[in-house]
Amino acid sequence: MRLLDIFLLSISHVKKSRMRSWLTIVGVIIGVASVVAIISIGQGMQENVQQRLGGFGADIITVIPGYFRATGVHSEMHTDRSVSTSSSINLTDKDIKVIKQVPGIMYVNGLVSGKADLKYDNEKTVVSVTGVDTSVWKLMDNTGLDDGRYLQPGDSNSIVVGYNLAYGAFLQPITLNRPITIGGKNFRVVGILKQSGGLGGGSDTGIYMPAEVAREVITEKMANNQFTSMVIKASDASLVEYIKADIEQKLMSSRQVNPRTKDFTVIASALIREQMSGVTQTLSLFLSAIAAVSLLVGAIGIANTMFMSVMERTRQIGLLKAIGTSEQEIMKLFLIESGIFGLVGGIIGVIFGVAISLLIPYLGIQALGFGGDMKATITAGTIFFAIGFSVVVGILSGIIPARHAAKMRPVDAIRYDQ
Amino acid sequence: MNIIELDDVWKVYKMGEIEVPALKGMSLKVAPGEFLALMGPSGSGKSTAMNMIGCLDIPTRGSVFLAGQDIATLTELELSRIRGKKIGFVFQSHNLYPTLTALENVQLPMRVHEFIEADIWDKSEELLQLVGLSDRADHYPSQMSGGQSQRVAIARALSTNPLLLLADEPTGNLDTEAGKEILDIFSQLNAQGVTVVMITHDEKIAGRANKIVRMIDGTLAS
Repeated sequence: MRLLDIFLLSISHVKKSRMRSWLTIVGVIIGVASVVAIISIGQGMQENVQQRLGGFGADIITVIPGYFRATGVHSEMHTDRSVSTSSSINLTDKDIKVIKQVPGIMYVNGLVSGKADLKYDNEKTVVSVTGVDTSVWKLMDNTGLDDGRYLQPGDSNSIVVGYNLAYGAFLQPITLNRPITIGGKNFRVVGILKQSGGLGGGSDTGIYMPAEVAREVITEKMANNQFTSMVIKASDASLVEYIKADIEQKLMSSRQVNPRTKDFTVIASALIREQMSGVTQTLSLFLSAIAAVSLLVGAIGIANTMFMSVMERTRQIGLLKAIGTSEQEIMKLFLIESGIFGLVGGIIGVIFGVAISLLIPYLGIQALGFGGDMKATITAGTIFFAIGFSVVVGILSGIIPARHAAKMRPVDAIRYDQ
Repeated sequence: MNIIELDDVWKVYKMGEIEVPALKGMSLKVAPGEFLALMGPSGSGKSTAMNMIGCLDIPTRGSVFLAGQDIATLTELELSRIRGKKIGFVFQSHNLYPTLTALENVQLPMRVHEFIEADIWDKSEELLQLVGLSDRADHYPSQMSGGQSQRVAIARALSTNPLLLLADEPTGNLDTEAGKEILDIFSQLNAQGVTVVMITHDEKIAGRANKIVRMIDGTLAS
């Protein structure tokens, strides 16, 4: 029997028992829709986290004053700022020199961060100012420029402005060469950063200027050789863990502290990111497993329907066998039918799943998000996977009933009383 | 050459521990062009004999020859294909595939045996006309009377040009008038050279055949 003819015969069954076919398909739809929705939401969640941490490069290590006493395994995440955080403990250019001696380090950028009053076009506000080392900043920044240039050595009254601050904060957008007064000092805008959207130091709303100038304009008092943090770029992202340990060792000995009295913290963002995506991955895997259960229920529904049709159609199977249909062809007849349930259920399920995923952000479900808004990422891969998986599930659930049908002896099947 | 030949055929069914012989050394020859009625009371082994003649089952002992070939030498698939092509079956009831129209039912065996598409259509329309149901081509079995269904079943049984038309109580579920129409078709086909074997318990119906064999206790009554 030609495959097309077997297919048409299968279709004739599906069409004749419409009600039952649809009920079976609904079971699959629910399973597939929940799988698609959960995978999409899981991926969206992961992307969210990645994006938020995206501001930190994988090869970036940060040193800040004070020590975060860890309470759990994820030491960098769940911390209590305890022990000592007094302003007397700070980082100086001496620490920078020590860090520069650690092998595997490419650049060290000493940062001076603080708040400053800003006056622009008759509008006043308070902004966060970051003083940078102009010689290395442009080499380390991974936000990129929207317009203008980075700061360069020799700049004294030049600033670079974050994207949101430039275009969203004032009635009149800040453009290149506009004069701005910060902390009573006049500056000229030489560059505007791209929008980063990330957690990477809030670059979207910040102002960047040379570190020595920043010390003069911020409201916090700072000594001439003092820094609020240091950002270090490693020559190779894979070395970050070792470099981090090395920095800790060297700083402890130069600052004459031991692990108990440590007064600084070294953070490797790559490690945070790993942990974060580990958490979200586990979470999506767990949710997918729950969704898979509903797909399993759908599969059992298909198997049940197929068993019922095999029983009901015993006489037809006998007839088919009497007129010369082979076991294989009868197998195919039933497998195509259960495959159709899987395929139709898969397609409709994907449509529902995508709809649910698209609705999620509007429903304002923030419980699963990390404080931010919830979004779902639907990829072609997810869609093809879901449909393919559902067809496979359909065929697999049809195998036992189909074998049952194929193995029937024509004599028994024809005599079967309904 | 005989179309079907049963040579000392035994069929023994196992009912738990007990062996029940349904056929006890039955021998029968069906020659081309015959219209043979196989008669017998219930329990005489009629149905088992029909299974043997139709090659639907394998004998416990003895041989069945289909067009001169011992069916014991064939694989299950080979037997299935040859049986489907050389024997046209008309059963007592539930003959038709319920999800297919009358025309599609007639086409089904030809599709199973992968006939050429054009031939499938020509032949099926021709056969429906032969049994007088051209106007019912698009009807589903549930929309047809018992007599009409049996006529479609006959058309279908003839579609692969079989050597033998094997009918098992073909009028069993029909009223006298419809039954007569069916028997008329069998007579007409036989007159055109089609070999017919009909299993029945009704003397009047058997009377339409030109040869009657009777079964008692799993073998032919002499």
